[in-house]
Amino acid sequence: MGNYFTMIFSRPFPKKQIKLLMVGLDAAGKTTVLFKLKLGEVVTTIPTIGFNVETVEYKNISFAVWDVGGQSKIRGLWKYYYQYTEGLIFVVDSSDHDRIETAAEELNAMLAEDEMRDAVLLVLANKQDLPKAMPVHELTDRLGLHALRGRQWFVQATCAVQGSGLYEGLDWLSDQLSRR
Amino acid sequence: MQRSKQVAMGRKKFNMDPKKGIQFLIENELLKNTCEDIAQFLYKGEGLNKTAIGDYLGERDESNIQVLHAFVELHEFTDLNLVQALRQFLWSFRLPGEAQKIDRMMEAFAQRYCQCNPGVFQSTDTCYVLSFAIIMLNTSLHNPNVKDKPSAERFIGMNRGINDGGDLPEDLLRNLYESIKNEPFKIPEDDGNDLTHTFFNPDREGWLLKLGGGRVKTWKRRWFILTDNCLYYFEYTTDKEPRGIIPLENLSIREVDDSKKPNCFELFIPDNKDQVIKACKTEADGRVVEGNHTFYRISAPTTEEKDEWIKSIKAAISRDPFYEMLAARKKKASSLKRQ
Repeated sequence: MGNYFTMIFSRPFPKKQIKLLMVGLDAAGKTTVLFKLKLGEVVTTIPTIGFNVETVEYKNISFAVWDVGGQSKIRGLWKYYYQYTEGLIFVVDSSDHDRIETAAEELNAMLAEDEMRDAVLLVLANKQDLPKAMPVHELTDRLGLHALRGRQWFVQATCAVQGSGLYEGLDWLSDQLSRR
Repeated sequence: MQRSKQVAMGRKKFNMDPKKGIQFLIENELLKNTCEDIAQFLYKGEGLNKTAIGDYLGERDESNIQVLHAFVELHEFTDLNLVQALRQFLWSFRLPGEAQKIDRMMEAFAQRYCQCNPGVFQSTDTCYVLSFAIIMLNTSLHNPNVKDKPSAERFIGMNRGINDGGDLPEDLLRNLYESIKNEPFKIPEDDGNDLTHTFFNPDREGWLLKLGGGRVKTWKRRWFILTDNCLYYFEYTTDKEPRGIIPLENLSIREVDDSKKPNCFELFIPDNKDQVIKACKTEADGRVVEGNHTFYRISAPTTEEKDEWIKSIKAAISRDPFYEMLAARKKKASSLKRQ
């Protein structure tokens, strides 16, 4: 009997595939984030015309990350992709003082979607290497994160070009999501 | 320099950095600075890399958006159905993967499609949303990273209400779905990505020894080609693709003595010993990685060859007009500082 249970529990758990969406304004650094996470892996996939979608394997979790966005007219289409989304990665250019309000609006519109109700939120405060970059606490304020109710969120300072902060962000995500 | 040679140089610059390429062509009066002329240049696409065209058309700058619209105007979509028209459009450049760029491109495409085919859609917006949905469908059905493949029913459901609040005919949507499912959008063939073009008629080529950049430094024999302000190296002369690429921009060259090998010279970043030189190489398992050299030490078989290589590389570096402009600026800045 004992052996029987050991056999079951020692079997490696299947990798959990988790759907993440990545949003953010133009030039926030989304593509760089995706590229950095994939750098060093053997690229075997056949290129496809369409949106950037990458799978990232990290800490026994397989993340599928979609670059989504566009004007409000097409938001209805994305709703189909929001279903079963467990996490939202919001990338913001910390040095872009002019568009931080627009970024906050975009983020809040996303979070207001019914399908995003249970999604955890990781904000990547990107381009921290630039001289005018707002620090994490200022971004947290200006994005209105303290006003969020009933949502797990975290702000991670990153510099995607150098790759710094990205894995710390993924650590937080995998912690949150493996608890579920 | 000959005009045709300058145009060729502009094209190659465009393929490396579209903005700089266009700027170079305009500054040298090889291209007029109007959105129509630039659009025409991209539409003809001779010698241009289609990914670079897509990058240029996708930029958020007002001038790029104007070029995008002028570019779309050059397409003729009359009497084509929507998917046929999209196939034609997406063959003329490589669609970038960023959602916002795709959004702008589909909006411009829809305007042109409706202009060529009045009466097919109730409004341009319907056509734009549907075109965007088709790109999403192509991604979902054919990108191997997407595990959850949508059914025709889901595609129909997704497009509910996009016709100014009403639905599009189900037959139409089903046909679109089948068309994309049976035939994904083709990756446009690159006119400018044909490396044989690049390596034909180089400034100089030959066997050299190169010191590795890793912790344990070893000498490797490589076939080097110098062309377009870039140094390429290959394992064999017959290789189609290089093992490594070293752009010479911002690098300097000097002779050095090496205790182990004769006739050595070095490529380095002036005034910056520890900075890694921007370059890339392909590992044995096919991975493309960033280079790890802070300098490249190279050994030539003879003194004559060493001198010839140094001469050619120096000429290649200084031929770059950006380099000259930058050097002049640096000089000015440092003389100002001294005052």
